[in-house]
Amino acid sequence: MAIITRDIQEGRPFSGKPKKITEERVYAFSGGFPKGPGWPQKNIHTDVEFARRCGLSDRNASGSMFEGYVTELMVDLFGENWLRGGKMQLVFIRMVTIGDTVLPKAIVQSRREEHSGTRFVLEVSCENQHGDKVAVGTASGLVQ
Amino acid sequence: MAQRKTADQLGIGDEFEPYQFRVTPEFNHQYLEAVDDHHRRYLEETKLGAPIVHPALFLNYCSITKSPSFYLPPGIAAVVAKDEIEYLSPGRVGKSFRVSWKVVDTYTKRGRSYQVTEISVVDEDGIRIMRRRMNCTYMARRE
Repeated sequence: MAIITRDIQEGRPFSGKPKKITEERVYAFSGGFPKGPGWPQKNIHTDVEFARRCGLSDRNASGSMFEGYVTELMVDLFGENWLRGGKMQLVFIRMVTIGDTVLPKAIVQSRREEHSGTRFVLEVSCENQHGDKVAVGTASGLVQ
Repeated sequence: MAQRKTADQLGIGDEFEPYQFRVTPEFNHQYLEAVDDHHRRYLEETKLGAPIVHPALFLNYCSITKSPSFYLPPGIAAVVAKDEIEYLSPGRVGKSFRVSWKVVDTYTKRGRSYQVTEISVVDEDGIRIMRRRMNCTYMARRE
């Protein structure tokens, strides 16, 4: 069931669930499928040495994980129908490492009436446990 | 014999080799664990069909690094800087999906090179699942 209704006003904030970035979750996301010998696959997300060879200071969680968190928030706000036409745009501005906690957030930026419903545009972001933004952008969805 | 291009050498019009995969319940479950989202829409059948594939699975599996032709020399990594995503239809567990990639732009910003790739995910019935435009850069250790 959608949370955003046609009468929601600009400036209204929303938060998703805080997500702890654990080694197990990073491996599950970026380690490949199926699990077997050699799992998790070595890459900048799963292996410190691999990351350092590429000039990074540490392994980091994939930005697509945060996109998944924002997607979850949008599906919570707009309902499952957001997966039929929902849009988002994100810029990644800070690395997230294992042990961090990421919180997806959104605030209604604008709303306009369209033929098929009310189009909402939201500023979206993900913040770490220090309140620093790690990704920022916008998302839009239609409420019929 | 011509040497194959590394991923960072691909230019406008070049394509990565498409990738096809099937999403089993176990595969989907791994992503529910990864993003800690266990909503029943991803676990239970409905009148509309099989459970929905978690979108995070598609987000990861349409990364250019999943293409069979993706190759980088050791010590270089692809890093996503900016992403635009449009969800078109939910994917269903049990279906197979095909991801295709095409480089549509390249640019330099603050001395760093970027590659823009248009990505499409389509299921075995031809239903379009996701459209994505990914801005990627390549990181290497500075000597």
